[in-house]
Amino acid sequence: MSSSAATVFVVDDELSVRQSLSHLLRAAGLNVAVFDSAQAFLESYDPSAPGCLVLDLAMPGLNGLELQEALAVKGSLLPIIFLTGRGDLPSGVKAMKRGAVDFLAKPVDAADLIEAVRSGIEKERVARRADAELKEIRRRLATLTPREYEVLRHVVSGKLNKQIAADLGTVEKTVKVHRARVMEKVKAASLAELVRMAQRAGI
Amino acid sequence: MSWITIVWSMVTSACLTLALMHLVIWFRQRDQYAHLLLSVTAVSVAAIAVCELLTMYAQSPEQYSRIVWWEHIPVFSTAVSVVGFVRLYFNAGRWWLGYTACALRLFDLIMNFFATPNLNYKQIIGLRHLRIFDGETISLAKGIENPWIKVSELSSLFLLIFVVDATITLWQRGNRRARHRAVVIGGSMTFFLSVAAGSSALIEAGLLRSPYLISLPFLAIVLAMGYELSSDVVRAARLARQLQASEAATRESEERFRILADTAPVMIWMAGTDMLCSFFNKQWFEFTGRTMGQELGNGWSAGVHPDDLKRCLETYTSSFTVRQSFTMEYRLRRADGEYRWLLDTGVPRYVLGREFAGYIGSAIDITERRQHELESARQRNELAHLSRVALLGELSVSLAHELNQPLTAILSNAQAAQLLLAQGAADPDELPQILLEIVQESKRAGEIIRRLRVLLKKGEIHRVPLDMNQVVDNVLELIRSDLINQHVAVQVELALDPPWVDGDEVQLQQVLLNLVINACDAMAEVELTNRRLLIRTELAGSNFVRVSVTDQGCGIPPEKIDRIFDPFFTTKEIGTGLGLSVCRSIISAHGGELYAINNPGGGATLQFTLPAISQSTK
Repeated sequence: MSSSAATVFVVDDELSVRQSLSHLLRAAGLNVAVFDSAQAFLESYDPSAPGCLVLDLAMPGLNGLELQEALAVKGSLLPIIFLTGRGDLPSGVKAMKRGAVDFLAKPVDAADLIEAVRSGIEKERVARRADAELKEIRRRLATLTPREYEVLRHVVSGKLNKQIAADLGTVEKTVKVHRARVMEKVKAASLAELVRMAQRAGI
Repeated sequence: MSWITIVWSMVTSACLTLALMHLVIWFRQRDQYAHLLLSVTAVSVAAIAVCELLTMYAQSPEQYSRIVWWEHIPVFSTAVSVVGFVRLYFNAGRWWLGYTACALRLFDLIMNFFATPNLNYKQIIGLRHLRIFDGETISLAKGIENPWIKVSELSSLFLLIFVVDATITLWQRGNRRARHRAVVIGGSMTFFLSVAAGSSALIEAGLLRSPYLISLPFLAIVLAMGYELSSDVVRAARLARQLQASEAATRESEERFRILADTAPVMIWMAGTDMLCSFFNKQWFEFTGRTMGQELGNGWSAGVHPDDLKRCLETYTSSFTVRQSFTMEYRLRRADGEYRWLLDTGVPRYVLGREFAGYIGSAIDITERRQHELESARQRNELAHLSRVALLGELSVSLAHELNQPLTAILSNAQAAQLLLAQGAADPDELPQILLEIVQESKRAGEIIRRLRVLLKKGEIHRVPLDMNQVVDNVLELIRSDLINQHVAVQVELALDPPWVDGDEVQLQQVLLNLVINACDAMAEVELTNRRLLIRTELAGSNFVRVSVTDQGCGIPPEKIDRIFDPFFTTKEIGTGLGLSVCRSIISAHGGELYAINNPGGGATLQFTLPAISQSTK
């Protein structure tokens, strides 16, 4: 199970809340790490470790929203589930706009929390995979020569080889050779796959 | 008529007149025996004078001796009455001397009774006619002296010694009246007794040819006695007049007091040195509807409310024993049966500013005043409660959060336990730990609810010894999450083991809560990192505990610093303007003071003092 490698980071200034959430999430089969303040979490934060953040909104010192901002600056993908003692709507809206996974009111029901945590972890896993895929595509695209890259741009815009040769001032045969080399370098099995990859890479 | 007849008759009448006068006085004042004794003396001297006159004109020895025989009787009564007078009037003189003189005189009288012709002479041979200066002839006895007459002379000697002794004793007492009396009566008695006794002894010894001349010196003695007694009478009359005048003055002042007492708009009572009440004014009876007879002594206490009686009597008697003025409040039954609250003040009173004479006191009906006080206290409590409810309204978000924390912990722990049980694979150490945490957090939630309920309760004032440090801690517990939300950093400086105060915990929490909330509001515009709040408890002087709340806010405009405690004065957009005014009334009711000062470095400090209670009563 991919989620077993992930860790749930619980940040709350209240010991009793930290402990109870830790009990609950552990009972749900999750790895849990607890922190008593936002600063403490930031200090030990490892962007490569997969997981999910369960964050108290109101804390002395750095509060929940501030931590979210700090993580965003670092380009973190860590999904955040906010817990709040009050139905603080403006803060909730702000948090969700900045990409929080969920915004739950205390006392929080186990099913809601666990579901939110799981979906957070899942999202992160997906995001990490997508991120890795994109990186791979970019790596493959980076191996293309400028001429091949030119041919690729024309191919994915749906032009025929003849049109491409005319545009580039070359012969159809040469285009065909470039095209085959592109397909081989980016490991695309079909034209459709090539187009999808190019789209992912933003071409 | 010869001059002898005239002189002796005058002596006789003078004596009789004096005797009559003083007899009359004695009849009026039966306890004044001096007057009776003077009368007896005077009558006796008159009788002696008559006898002397008769002997001087006696025609035969038989007649002469018969008169001399009779003369022993007045001489006896003179001696006895003089002894009595001196003893009584001087309150001096040895009794045995007086008794001896009287006894010898009685012996003389008895001997004379059996003697023939009398105790003076064994035999009178004849009469000698003596011609004196203006050709008058008087009779003198010619006879043989009876040796027993020495008894008479001895008696006279003892009488003389008795008088001299009494006079000396009187003189030695030293006061002016006694010395005057000693000189006038003692001196004249000594002198004239010596003359009378001496001349008689000489005549009896045949050394002096003269008739007995006892009546003349005795007249002088009687006159001296009369002079002293009449000055006593005059003095008594003067005293009587003065007394009358002072009695009239007393009556007038008593009358004035009575009028004053009966018209004054208070109830007045008086008590004697025995603590028993001796007087009540008209207002008292109008109030109680009882009579003087019912109220006198301890009767008044029957109308005192049974619940107040013991305290009332304790105050009364304990003040009485140390003679201190007292003030007490108690309920007394009015004529219509309703118990009314009286304020009774008693002060000790002294006769002429010296001698303790009891107490005088006044009482007024303070029932209405008390009701007003109770009513205003009730309104103050009501207002304090309303203001507390409003305060908690402001805090409700924070309090909900405060309550949410334990609830969150409880719910999560319980659901964790459910999960573990459902999986059937629980770590044997984990479940008990989870349950323990549930218990702890439930207690914590309960404690928060209890605190809230205490603050919301509309209870009677309940004063108990309080540690202000504890009050500060309790308030911070309530407002903690609010402070976090407002980014206010709290610094607490608590006095080490401060003296306790006598206070109502709820109301003092309310005051502190109010001050802390105001301080936070004052810092709303301040940068997040500068929102610092200082709460301090300290000893102010030796008798007060001071609690101060210092903020780093905008301070109080100087023109408003005096008005912030006024009701309905507010600087906030939303606010009743009652918070601080209620706080001040709470602190005043606790005997303390609440005031505001601007800090030199910005921001304001609100502080209050409370009287400390002595350590022993903790």
